[in-house]
Amino acid sequence: MKFRRHVDRVLGIVLVILMATMTINVLWQVASRYVVGRPSAFTDELARYLLIWVGTLGAAYAAGQRMHLAIDIVPQKASPAGKRRLSLIINSIVIVFALLVMVIGGINLVYITLYLDQHSPALGVPLGYVYAVLPLSGLLIIYYSVVSLMEAAFPAEHQGDMLDDDPEPVR
Amino acid sequence: SCEEARQTRVLKLAHGLDVTHPVHKGMVYMKQQLEQVSGGKMTLEIYPSQQLGSEREALELLQIGSLDMTKVSAGVMESFSPKFRVLGLPYLFRDRAHQFAVQDGPIGEEILRDGENYWLRGLCFYDAGSRSFYMKDRPINTPADLQGLKIRVMESPTAQAMVSIMGGSPTPMSYGELYTSLQQGVVDGAENNPPSFYSSRHYEVCKYYSLDEHTALPDVLLIGTKVWNKLSPEEQEWLQAAVDASVPEERRLWAESEEESLREVQKAGVEIIYPDKKPFEEKVQPLYDALKNDPTLYDLVQRIRAVETDNPGSPQL
Amino acid sequence: MEIFVLVVSFVILLAIGVPVAFSIGVSTMLTLLVSIDSLPAFTTLAQRMATGLDSFALLAIPFFVLAGQLMNRGGIAARLIDFAKSLVGMFPGGLAYVNILACMLFGAISGSAAAAASAIGGFMNSRMVKEGYSPQFSAAVNVTSATTGLVIPPSNVLIVYSLASGGVSIAALFLAGYVPGILAGLFIMIVAGIWAYRKKFPVGDRFSLGYAARKFLEALPSLLLLVVVIGGIVAGIFTATEASAVAVLYTLVLSMLIYREVKVKDLPSILLETVSTTAIVMLLIGTSIGMSWAMSYENIPQSVTEVLLNVSDNKIVVLLIINLILLFVGIFMDMTPAVLIFTPIFLPVVQELGMNPVHFGIVMVLNLCIGLCTPPVGSVLFIGCSVANVSIDKVIKPLLPIFLAMIAALMLVTYIPEISLWLPQVFGF
Ligand code: NA
Ligand code: NA
Repeated sequence: MKFRRHVDRVLGIVLVILMATMTINVLWQVASRYVVGRPSAFTDELARYLLIWVGTLGAAYAAGQRMHLAIDIVPQKASPAGKRRLSLIINSIVIVFALLVMVIGGINLVYITLYLDQHSPALGVPLGYVYAVLPLSGLLIIYYSVVSLMEAAFPAEHQGDMLDDDPEPVR
Repeated sequence: SCEEARQTRVLKLAHGLDVTHPVHKGMVYMKQQLEQVSGGKMTLEIYPSQQLGSEREALELLQIGSLDMTKVSAGVMESFSPKFRVLGLPYLFRDRAHQFAVQDGPIGEEILRDGENYWLRGLCFYDAGSRSFYMKDRPINTPADLQGLKIRVMESPTAQAMVSIMGGSPTPMSYGELYTSLQQGVVDGAENNPPSFYSSRHYEVCKYYSLDEHTALPDVLLIGTKVWNKLSPEEQEWLQAAVDASVPEERRLWAESEEESLREVQKAGVEIIYPDKKPFEEKVQPLYDALKNDPTLYDLVQRIRAVETDNPGSPQL
Repeated sequence: MEIFVLVVSFVILLAIGVPVAFSIGVSTMLTLLVSIDSLPAFTTLAQRMATGLDSFALLAIPFFVLAGQLMNRGGIAARLIDFAKSLVGMFPGGLAYVNILACMLFGAISGSAAAAASAIGGFMNSRMVKEGYSPQFSAAVNVTSATTGLVIPPSNVLIVYSLASGGVSIAALFLAGYVPGILAGLFIMIVAGIWAYRKKFPVGDRFSLGYAARKFLEALPSLLLLVVVIGGIVAGIFTATEASAVAVLYTLVLSMLIYREVKVKDLPSILLETVSTTAIVMLLIGTSIGMSWAMSYENIPQSVTEVLLNVSDNKIVVLLIINLILLFVGIFMDMTPAVLIFTPIFLPVVQELGMNPVHFGIVMVLNLCIGLCTPPVGSVLFIGCSVANVSIDKVIKPLLPIFLAMIAALMLVTYIPEISLWLPQVFGF
């Protein structure tokens, strides 16, 4: 699980940098109107694209931390074996969604916008770069879900931790 | 009705305008024409009011293949298909007659076809009048009056360069935030055509509308290339016939709506100013000089300027 | 056919415990597959997920969350409690009022009911229990009053509503939220007062003007945030969205330089916590934007409008039905997805009946506030119970009369538009 910790750490650092940049960018937007007296032409667009990245990549991070909201009435009432089966099903469903929509749909979207040479109006960046966060985040969600699927499938190696909130399996 | 549905080809058309807008009404007319000319074998399902996304997003849906048709401002086409950039240039056309002659002629056809390289087939131009400045608390009579004022512009490099060169501070801002920003003075003014000035209710805040008519940015009707190629030659003909029939009808509806909008905003206490356009036109000349680095656009501008109209000097609307 | 696929798959996925955002995403994907080829369907949904976040107004969410985090760690909650106590501590059930008022203030400023419930609840419960209140009662008061901060501006969920409604003015919504939010808080206070009187709960210290003034001065920098945010918007210095970034700057300066309770080394973890909280909401927004696209594509809102208006075209009846549906929805669904899913469905119906979209936004959010405090899905209830260390089933009994009061406030706000629209009208909306 050392690799898992590296992934968490790198992802965390990237997200902190993106979030800090986003904050400074919007403050600059206000400041540029008054301090410099010249409204900035790109801050609005940059802020929106950073939000797409923070939101989508952050969703993968939150998936890794098992923070996404769920209704767990059925899982709570299930037997330990039932819980395991449910965890297998839930993780498989998440994997299928991330694969079909975020990875395959996302790559197709990136491909179309890059192939057709679409650029953003203000910054002029290829829109494919903005959308690239979808397949990236999809792959990370698949990775985290596979880890948790393995924990549910082979409980002997990860005793008792498959359904609790601790992202770090006890070794 | 299931049997009947199978025989009817339904094309889904999404756009961002509300149902009272003249361009929407023009497309409803097109739908009726299509049903008539195809004998009920073809129809449109129209989704107004950004139900299926913004103009830029709808263009992407055409490319993705989940939406068949859309109507966007030519300004939005700029970042999809470069030849459309020419239409955003200020004072490109001498007058309405010149504009229509260009759009209806081979140059218009050439610009519409440029979209095909990007899987977007342009079907026609719809009139969207001319855009002019409206300000919260001062009239604009000359470009000097714009000096230092924060003007909201569309997300278009051409529009930003134009306001900049006239002396204003172009402030990009989402349309949704504009009303309150005008009201609270985050920006001093904005620019748009009369029907949009009226329907956005910006006239409640901005009491000076200076008809300098700097850009005559039309709307564009498009169909996904893949969808177009899937239609039979007969269906393509029906659709094009309905489109062609809707163009003059839309122009009529537009003129009507423009007149009504100006009348209504005046009733609401807006002062309409008719400034001399010459100084504005001279001020933007550097934009045209800069085009010399872009041979395609430069050539397009020269050819547009060379287009003669039957009735030169016809009065502007 | 499509609506059947959508509803059935969504309910099944939710029930077996698939995270809500993925339940929305998967059921949308299945719905689109009925009428669109697979690759365009996947790509469209991917595009909706990304472009759903392509909105400047949505930036306020991470920023208000970040400001709330900084306030949580920066000692701002404690100062608000002391100030609230100096105002209402002397009445019977005084501590309960303090709890309510502090939750309202903190919820109002931070824009987050969860933040208010955890920041104030953790503090207040031990004090209330020490003075003889039951922890269940304390938790019930805490969680319900925390939700009023979602109606009192600034409020992230009102921004989400503005997005879902296609651009209702955020500034107008913010102004409209004050009176209904305060009204709901007052109604909760009335219940707490009756409860305290009947149980003979202890009375707090006598009111002293000097003490109140001192506590006010200590809380002033925190309270000034409200002035900076709302004042800056009304004065036209910045937009509602930009105000949220200014709030971050303000709380940063306050907690790092003035109160000195946050250090530079704390910032990465605060930022990361903000990102996680934000991302959960963003994934929900992304997938629900996909779902509402699929619903529009299949003309589902039009069908619902037709059905509802067929039941009755009497405004009072339709509004009652909508409120009942939303109360039911709130039991099972969190606020953000509920707003995102049901705004495009119900807004056309009420607009048809001549209701102002600003007014409807307040009604909808106030209604769903109740759902935040009910099991099985009630994020604020869960937080409040965990900080008070009481089990959820024990809190239900004290919650019931408070729910009745909140529903009474909801009915007033629903049927008297002026409660919401008076303030925006004063400011010219
Ligand atoms: Na608030
Ligand atoms: Na609930």
